[in-house]
Amino acid sequence: MAAAVETITKDSSQQTGLTTDDSQFLTFSLGEELYGVDILRVQEIKGYTAVTKIPNTPPHIKGVLNLRGTIVPIVELRTKFGLPTIDYTMFTVIVVVVVQDKVMGLVVDAVSDVLNIDKKDIQAAPEFGAKVNVTFLNGIGKSGDKLISLLDIDRLLIDQEIKEALATAA
Amino acid sequence: MSNDFAQFQDAFFEEAAEHLAIVEEGLLALEQHPEDLDLLAKIFRSAHSIKGTAGMFGFNAVAQFTHKMETLLDLLRNGQKVVTPQIADLLLKSTDCLKTLIEAAKSNEPVDNEVVQRLTGELAAASESGGQAAPQAGVAAKAASAPAANQGHTYIISWTPPAWLFQRGLDPLQIFKELGALGTLSEVTVDTTKLPELAAMDPETCYLAWTMKLNTVKDRKVVEGVFEFVREDSILKIEEGHEAREENRLQPASPSPLASNPLPIASGLAPAEGEEPKPLGELLVESGAVSRETLDKALSQQKRVGEILVEQQAVTPQQVEQALLKQRQQESAAHAKKTDTASIRVDTAKIDKLINLVGELVITQSMLSDLGARFEMRQMPILLERMAQLERNTREIQERVMGIRMLPIGTAFSRFPRLVRDLSAKAGKKIQLVLSGEETELDKTVIESIGDPLTHLVRNSADHGLEPPEERLDNNKPELGTIRLNAFHEGGSICITVEDDGRGLNRDKILAKGIKQGLITENDKLSDDQIWALIFKPGFSTAEKVTDVSGRGVGMDVVKRNIEALGGTVSIKTALGKGTTFTLKLPLTLAIIDGMTVRVGQETYIVPLLSILESIQPKPEVIKTVVGKGELINVRGTYLPMMRMYEVFSLQPEYTDPTKAILLILETEGERVAVMVDEILGQQQVVIKSMEQNFRKVEGVAGATILGDGTVGFILDVRGLLEMARRGTPVAA
Repeated sequence: MAAAVETITKDSSQQTGLTTDDSQFLTFSLGEELYGVDILRVQEIKGYTAVTKIPNTPPHIKGVLNLRGTIVPIVELRTKFGLPTIDYTMFTVIVVVVVQDKVMGLVVDAVSDVLNIDKKDIQAAPEFGAKVNVTFLNGIGKSGDKLISLLDIDRLLIDQEIKEALATAA
Repeated sequence: MSNDFAQFQDAFFEEAAEHLAIVEEGLLALEQHPEDLDLLAKIFRSAHSIKGTAGMFGFNAVAQFTHKMETLLDLLRNGQKVVTPQIADLLLKSTDCLKTLIEAAKSNEPVDNEVVQRLTGELAAASESGGQAAPQAGVAAKAASAPAANQGHTYIISWTPPAWLFQRGLDPLQIFKELGALGTLSEVTVDTTKLPELAAMDPETCYLAWTMKLNTVKDRKVVEGVFEFVREDSILKIEEGHEAREENRLQPASPSPLASNPLPIASGLAPAEGEEPKPLGELLVESGAVSRETLDKALSQQKRVGEILVEQQAVTPQQVEQALLKQRQQESAAHAKKTDTASIRVDTAKIDKLINLVGELVITQSMLSDLGARFEMRQMPILLERMAQLERNTREIQERVMGIRMLPIGTAFSRFPRLVRDLSAKAGKKIQLVLSGEETELDKTVIESIGDPLTHLVRNSADHGLEPPEERLDNNKPELGTIRLNAFHEGGSICITVEDDGRGLNRDKILAKGIKQGLITENDKLSDDQIWALIFKPGFSTAEKVTDVSGRGVGMDVVKRNIEALGGTVSIKTALGKGTTFTLKLPLTLAIIDGMTVRVGQETYIVPLLSILESIQPKPEVIKTVVGKGELINVRGTYLPMMRMYEVFSLQPEYTDPTKAILLILETEGERVAVMVDEILGQQQVVIKSMEQNFRKVEGVAGATILGDGTVGFILDVRGLLEMARRGTPVAA
């Protein structure tokens, strides 16, 4: 597992063209937890606005949004992770990310910070077996006393892969 | 680098396709008017262009084959041979072969060499057989480069090309190459006296003139033919010379101008596209602030080219080609980003209008912001007026921008003369094709997609619609059958009709067949239209025998499906013994559709206007159920299945009672369905946005659009909706 994570981190750093040992992550909160995505994958952050529901889609697909003329699907991360839903506040934001040439939005409770995390401060995601699905985590980052779950958004947001991941996990 | 070069190749393929079309069209016309010399010249020019550019790009197979065709064409043009049906046929076949060769060059795939060889042989034979013209043309390429050529004439050619030479993308090198192919070209000297100062020089103007000696077996006409493209404004002198005099001049004359002023030759190396030749362009830029250094550098660069040319005194094609290739590669690097793989040629008039409109828009905008800066309530009328102006501008710009994608349908029609010619030969029928409305414009993507359905319909008319000549004569019809293709605008759509004066559809036969295939029962009372619609059912054919061309009905389902995929409809009008007309009705563009906005609960959806027949508010007594569940609506005597949209899309509706809601009667692929919505909001044009770009296909949704309030609305896919309703359970993804 550790080796696998090693490769994944390496791959993503190649993808982003980073050669240094630390990477920047945009971190955001879902309840008490902190999550991070590679900053180079983030296109923009925008306040939450009403979306149009797509008929017959899973609950975590909130709907679609008009982002300057482009139709962008919006994923509610809380629902995606099986966390309890909460009412949106003025801090609720949409983090617009680019996933394999597709633009998507993630609804998160609040953005918190942009952090430099050294490679040595990233450890493999712990295994919880079938109890918790961590296939879409690149690893766990440490910054001070904060723990940040680093998301592998490619895995997280591409349906096909998720299905495969779930199939192998189950 | 190779990739950049590929982009130039794309331009070549596009151009070649155009020339091929001209050649084919010309040959077809030539069959009717074999004596038309203008036509022959036109065909020759196009073939010549293909040959030239193909050679330049190193597609030797294409160039060589075209050369053979050209040889024959040249004989025809010079009147040394007459256009016979056999020759026309051979040339058409060769055009097909050339098409294949070009395709092969494009995809880098191997070609069926046997066909190429056979046709090459036939072309050579056709060029040779019959009269004294033979030895000259038949052996063209081979004999020309052979040393034996010395025995022929010696011409002293002096050529002052027109100043626009480069602007039209013509390349003197090509001419030299071709002359070289005719025999031995030597003593090429360049006259640089007209060349202005570097700073004053326009790199797109040709200031040069050449004299050269050509030793060839060809006669003067062939040599003149090489200058075909430039003859117009050139000063061209071709004199018969004799050896001795030339030998004397050869040595002293050529090196000096070449060595001392080699620069112009470099401009001769410029590629055919008419782009500014790179070294010269650079020099010009640099000369704006001429520093010694740069000038020296430039001069040293010149010298290098000059040296090459001195060595090349007798310009050999290979060397030139190499130099040319190198130049082109540099060139393509500079222009790499300019070309796009899917390009479109736009009438400059359209662009000019657009620019004017954008200008107006800018003015309106500045007037509005001016007004906004110090707005008072009493200025409200002015504001409204300016807003209206803004709206007008925007709408017009939108229309014009869409217009850029519009191409005349003639490009889709152009393949049919050939098709009909071949079909009539195959089916043993006499058929004339009448085209009209070729200038009618529609969206490029639509044009590309209607080609196949149209081909199908034309084939159908030729094969099954039109009777054999004897039958026609028996029925007091002219022996010559007619197929008409017409395109015209009607409302917001374009109509294309395929009309034949053949036997028409046989109602009884279709009925019988329909019953036999179990599509209908004997008791069904069908209207004519419903009967004609049967031929669009998969696998339905009324043809007694299915020929290799088609059977009426075979593939008609595909035609219908393709047209409907474009948001269009197909209808049939027919009269027994008189003929059949197929009418395709298509939206002008795929990017914008007319839609009806409807509301279901909180959600807004757009229904394509094309599929809406009517909307009704049903009375309780017209709603019936079958098997307790399936709901049917009686619309003037016909029962249509009813679909509750909120069920299919899992929405919260305002009304669950159909008598309070609105029913839209929709039609797709001949099927009708009543769809229940809460309210009709209005009609508007919507711009289609892709859902798949960032998400995926959503069942029942054809695409998305941005509504007036900036939110996203979905455009319904009526077909998909029907299928969902039929399955009963929405697929949760």
